[in-house]
Amino acid sequence: MPENPRANIPPGAGTDVIVIGAGLAGLMAAVQATQAGARVRVIANGWGQQIVSPGWISVCDRAADDVIAEVRGYAAIHPDHPYALAEDDAMVRGIEAFRNIAQKNGQPYDMRDKDGHNLRLMTALGAIQRPMLAPRGMANGDLTGVGGPVLLVGFTGWRDFFPALAIDNLRAAGVEARAVCIDLPAEQSSTWDLWPGDVARLFDGADFRAAVSGRIKPHAKDAVMVGLPAVLGLENPVEALADLSEQIGAPVFEIPTLPPSMAGVRLSNALRRWLMRHRARVQVGHPVVRGVVANGRCTHVEVGALGHTNPFYADQFILATGGLYNGGILSDETGRLWEPLFDLPVATPPGDGREGWYGERLLQERGHPIHRLAGLRANKQMQPLGQDGGPALENVYVVGHLLAGFNPLTDGCAEGIALATAYKAVQTALQLDE
Amino acid sequence: MNTSHSVDVLVVGGGATGAAAAYDLARRGMRPLLVEQLDLSTGTSGRYHGLLHSGGRYAGRDLETAAECIVENQVLRRIAPFAIEDTGGLFVATPDDPADFPERWLAGCRTAGIPTESITAAQARTQEPALTPRIAAAYRVPDGSCDSFDLIHAFVEATRALGGDALIYHRVRDLIREGDAVVGAHLEDTRTGERRTVSAACVLNAAGPWAGVVAGLAGLDVQIKFDRGAMIAMNTRWVNTIVNRLRPADDGDILVPVGTVCVLGTTSVHTDHPDDYRIEAWEVSKILSEADVVVPGIRHGRALRAWAGVRPLYEPPEAGHDDVEGREVKRTFSVIDHAQRDGVRGLVTVVGGKLTTCRLMAEQAVDVVAAQLGNEARCTTAGEPLPGPHAPRYHQLGGRLHKLEHGELPGELICECEMVTRAQLEAAIDAYGDQPVALDDLRRDLRLGMGPCQAGFCSYRAAGILQQKKGHTGPDTVEAFGAFVDERFRGVRPLLWGHQLRQMYLDELIYRRTLGLDQLVEQPTEEPAHA
Repeated sequence: MPENPRANIPPGAGTDVIVIGAGLAGLMAAVQATQAGARVRVIANGWGQQIVSPGWISVCDRAADDVIAEVRGYAAIHPDHPYALAEDDAMVRGIEAFRNIAQKNGQPYDMRDKDGHNLRLMTALGAIQRPMLAPRGMANGDLTGVGGPVLLVGFTGWRDFFPALAIDNLRAAGVEARAVCIDLPAEQSSTWDLWPGDVARLFDGADFRAAVSGRIKPHAKDAVMVGLPAVLGLENPVEALADLSEQIGAPVFEIPTLPPSMAGVRLSNALRRWLMRHRARVQVGHPVVRGVVANGRCTHVEVGALGHTNPFYADQFILATGGLYNGGILSDETGRLWEPLFDLPVATPPGDGREGWYGERLLQERGHPIHRLAGLRANKQMQPLGQDGGPALENVYVVGHLLAGFNPLTDGCAEGIALATAYKAVQTALQLDE
Repeated sequence: MNTSHSVDVLVVGGGATGAAAAYDLARRGMRPLLVEQLDLSTGTSGRYHGLLHSGGRYAGRDLETAAECIVENQVLRRIAPFAIEDTGGLFVATPDDPADFPERWLAGCRTAGIPTESITAAQARTQEPALTPRIAAAYRVPDGSCDSFDLIHAFVEATRALGGDALIYHRVRDLIREGDAVVGAHLEDTRTGERRTVSAACVLNAAGPWAGVVAGLAGLDVQIKFDRGAMIAMNTRWVNTIVNRLRPADDGDILVPVGTVCVLGTTSVHTDHPDDYRIEAWEVSKILSEADVVVPGIRHGRALRAWAGVRPLYEPPEAGHDDVEGREVKRTFSVIDHAQRDGVRGLVTVVGGKLTTCRLMAEQAVDVVAAQLGNEARCTTAGEPLPGPHAPRYHQLGGRLHKLEHGELPGELICECEMVTRAQLEAAIDAYGDQPVALDDLRRDLRLGMGPCQAGFCSYRAAGILQQKKGHTGPDTVEAFGAFVDERFRGVRPLLWGHQLRQMYLDELIYRRTLGLDQLVEQPTEEPAHA
């Protein structure tokens, strides 16, 4: 039997940083570590929460004026909040790094550069969300100072966007709007199970866009802008947007609709391609099942495969496995919460079992305690804290939703924290500060 | 506005007993009006596990109920085949269960007339591979699963076809008494506040847990014992046969495959209120751990939804068992002729019993009503099949998917979990005519939002379609949407860990972040503000 020359090389040898998780925090940690010259490998069970999120970047949605100033003020009086751990420099630079890499890869994210205030973006129900930045298609729909009329366009019979639902609620928010549904040019053979991705792929075609524009134009005469569901192309959203705006004769913007989020898919694709072009490895689909620790350091992680596991070695490990939704923290019926890879201590809501996890109504103000209180605690180097309050592992760093202390669903800062902590973790892991 | 009209019999309660009674009355030529305070089958009959009893479950201690069950089991299979799936049933004992029980139980089954077939552990596991290998004894019985929604709707449709009628979302405000007789009732539409007066020669009180309240409206006393039971639906059919634990009846004894899910039940907790639908954490743990003994691993499966029902238990005062509660109270039913008991004509109360015996309860109650009204027609409900498909109708997703893929079910897929299309939704909305329709009504009609995602995706879509069809304003539609979200959350809240916790996170993400629904609905403050 011929000897396999690679048999004795541990998989992952020559890797400086392994990032576990492919959400916004994990991907941005991988990008920034790669930019700093490290050899990086991303290992993830699946894509992260960007795939189901609306697509914009919430840094501090409740800020009435200067967003960065509001975050600084908040972090100063809440020293345990992830923003305070990462420090405001990390937040500003994390956002900058994100905008740069996204822009370079055909995914511009826009903000109100003039005053640094939050955007005012409408939802499909006509509520107003206030993220700091958004993919260009969504940021084009900034309602600041807009009284209307805004034209909302849906596609006849398409189940994921009902523009009429938004009209009355927008009016209550001071925006005049009209809704119209157009028939999509008949290109798709079956319409009974049309996903956002199916529609988005149609919008990649210039002829399709021209046909759609032709149907919208007669309705758009006096509209100051035209809103469509956020499915305007997958491959080249900037071109699709410019094309549609020009042909319709009014600025076109995108309104997030039911998952999967095309904005999240575009971003994930763009960052993965960039990483692979820069010789980082990105493996999505096989989970890390265990981190192996010796002398307070992680030596390698074991990755699940059919019937066995493969070890992957690196010097530094960035834990970006997400919170309760993405599987970074698991829970069971008895009320146990645990971190499955390193068994790191998990902060839990007070009370017996699952008693204190949820309130009575799903949409209650401030959300549910479990999503704010459950998670890992970290120090200012983003190292996870052990039972004794000191760093549990020397070369493991925690980022994103895995951290305790904020509710990603209600606090309006989910993406901001992902970007800030990813930046900070890379700085400390690669000792870039010194 | 106050309208009034006159019927022969006013039936109070749109559960299985009331619906069966209305049907029975109509067949005997007495014009009934059924009145229900919510939608049909929203009380105990809808908050049910789906078990069509063979009677085996009562063969240990309540032979009267056991005998009634086996007879009515056969009758319902004959008259309502579309509502019943012939799953068959197994009684399984583990080595930890009382070793002397099976013999007692077999004797009970023989006395009650329930056919049993002893099988080996290997045969039981061939039939149901998920069963534990630790089987001490196993028997086959003729259990089945029953869709109470379909059964009740069939009774009501048949009633209408015979000239009777049913009013949903109507509450009985008062029973009208003239001297020693009840002669009608004042009703109120709970949605519009509109009132009407109905005069009736007799009122049949089939209000289940509310029967005491209804009797009270005529100044009469009926003492109901309320017994709460919790159930959990697991997301797949872990078993295809009904599995009962062969031991003296206790919490967590049954697994019932119904439609696409497997329902685990149940508990028995005394309560003081007819609408106490709380589910305590210990009940969830108990049900899961008991089911896990019979089907190992099931507790780590995905639990979709939990609900509780209130059994209206009744022991006639003359029985002298005031101090018994819960499982000690027999599951037999009682028909109270208030003319005999209290000297008040025109009111008959039927209470207790099982869903399986609903037709029999209706028959005996209507016998008393007929005697008061001088009607001598005999009950014929056991003889003739109800109108409806004459073949068993299974809710099989595979069948629906095949139809979708081959163009036999037109329209877009709106609820992906339960495969409900836009055409079905629109037809269901149309069926309400001018009446108000809630998304939760459509759920009961179509199973909309009852699958794993618990309406995370289809609630927005259904709200959009409802607005298109009804021309509602944005705020009204948002309110309907919010109400549906609240209703769905109530049923998953006891089960939020693991998979279902993740699902609710996704649903909450869609509602809050993508749609901003939380900004538009009225919000209670729950969690004390802190950092």
